[in-house]
Amino acid sequence: MFNGFSHSVMGASHEKTGLVCQDSSAYKVTDHYAVAVVADGHGSKKHFRSHIGSKYAVESTIEAIERFYEDPEQFEENFPKNHKMILRNIEKQIIANWNNKVEKHLKENPVTAEEKSKFTDEEFEKILPESYYGSTLIAAVAGKKFTFGVQIGDGSLVALFDDGKAVMPMEYNESAPANVTASICNSNAATMFSSFYTDKKHLIAMYASTDGLYTSFGSEYDFLDYHTIITGQLTNLETFRQVIVNNLTKRSRYGTEDDISLSCVFDSDFLTEKESLIKEKIEENKKLAAERKAELLKKQV
Amino acid sequence: MSNEKITDAAMNGALDGFEAVSAAKENTQLDNSLDFDDDPLSATGVSRKSLVIFFLIDTSGSMKGKKMGELNTVMEELIPEIRRVGEADTEVKVAVLTFSTDVRWMYSTPIPIEDFEWARLRANGVTSMGAAFKELSLRMSRNSFLNSPSLSFAPVIFLMTDGYPSDDYREGLKELQSNSWYKFGLKAALGIGNEANDDVLAEFTGSKDTVVHAYSGGQLAQMIKIIAVTSSQIGSKSMTLSDDTGREIGEEDVFAAKQKLLGQQIQELVGSQVEESDVPFDTGW
Repeated sequence: MFNGFSHSVMGASHEKTGLVCQDSSAYKVTDHYAVAVVADGHGSKKHFRSHIGSKYAVESTIEAIERFYEDPEQFEENFPKNHKMILRNIEKQIIANWNNKVEKHLKENPVTAEEKSKFTDEEFEKILPESYYGSTLIAAVAGKKFTFGVQIGDGSLVALFDDGKAVMPMEYNESAPANVTASICNSNAATMFSSFYTDKKHLIAMYASTDGLYTSFGSEYDFLDYHTIITGQLTNLETFRQVIVNNLTKRSRYGTEDDISLSCVFDSDFLTEKESLIKEKIEENKKLAAERKAELLKKQV
Repeated sequence: MSNEKITDAAMNGALDGFEAVSAAKENTQLDNSLDFDDDPLSATGVSRKSLVIFFLIDTSGSMKGKKMGELNTVMEELIPEIRRVGEADTEVKVAVLTFSTDVRWMYSTPIPIEDFEWARLRANGVTSMGAAFKELSLRMSRNSFLNSPSLSFAPVIFLMTDGYPSDDYREGLKELQSNSWYKFGLKAALGIGNEANDDVLAEFTGSKDTVVHAYSGGQLAQMIKIIAVTSSQIGSKSMTLSDDTGREIGEEDVFAAKQKLLGQQIQELVGSQVEESDVPFDTGW
């Protein structure tokens, strides 16, 4: 049985400057699949509606997954046979959904004089309308027979499979230009996705998070260990959810002050089966962290 | 938890009719009285924006005696002062690269200032400054010393030397100059004694304003503290990316402004130092 949670906290820097949170997050759980999504609106001057764009990115993704899962049995049969092509189609569907939502919103809510007042006419003319809504997107999908994820722009996806090890399985799209942040608003957005797919491993839990979470850690080891600790508590989600919310708030406030979103889906039956393995991993990670620190403090001169 | 005001529609939301949670709508309120003591997730600490200070220190034979003794003492005293710079909202890390015949890092990676302990240095050999520049360029990378997920300010790079390089420093400097962290970093240099060449140091920093000279033990202590503390303060300062009219300015402009500010402040502070009557390094050398 799948379960999940998601939460977004507003960055302390946005609170200070009176900006709204640019992040959005959501999850959906059914008998056949579970999807966790987060999106991070760009938030800079020309992306002045990116808080709406990130919400649309999350909605568009869940709607696309719903559509592909309209006939669950058929999808479960077809996807493993041609996952590369179907993944590209899911990505295209997400972009199409998002463009429709943005177009509709802009039609119903034309740019106001106040929004325009921050630009010269010449500057404003140069901005493509979809750019007003620019956002990143990360989606993690757990199916009964496979697991996959798609991503455009920065953010992280962490998964724990049957060996209990936290990993980042996304295979990054090397064709996306390194110096340009990929965005759902890019004209070639459908070609800028990174993705991963596996039908070889049994998923315990999977997390999608916006950049604000990753950058609140001093090392990638800590970042991965954090997800293992959360996984160790998911069997008590009702009691633990507030702890997660508090911790995200703390990370935003005392870390880099950015918005943070975390969305998770997990297989609660398999998690119960693997609970003792996860507890062992948490202890092992603590020991390894102590060893790494001791090694770090050795002088070389 | 006391006075908790966090709203959380997503976590309690209906699973069938999903709803995207935008904090613009579900605006999460931060309450100053939030209690974070009972947090099992605290095993993985929260990292603030970090600043790495790179010290490039000449440990060639000519540094032997008073210069190296004074430098070791000053650096030991300096660590607590830099620690205070980072107390507010910046995680300061220190990396020390020594160069003589060989180049060597004091630690295998930048160390958080609260854990940093100075290892007393000894002087010997020739001045392989070019090799030091190459080694710095190699390590100043997201794949090496600057691999922390947390965001980084551009580094501070502080060069201290008492002599002319014995290798092809220009070749090393050329390599370093193509490194983006170097380009945007705050660079300062201290020449120790009469033999240090200010022109070489200015080539390294990009400006004469960020080059100073110490001719005695007292001056050495003053100059190291002025440069290290001032550059750490400026380096860890967030500068706005927009000007007064709201026009967005490039990051290059921000870094150039910081480097200029460092030069001005160093020159002001150096000018305000009282001359001390201690014995110059080069007396009797």
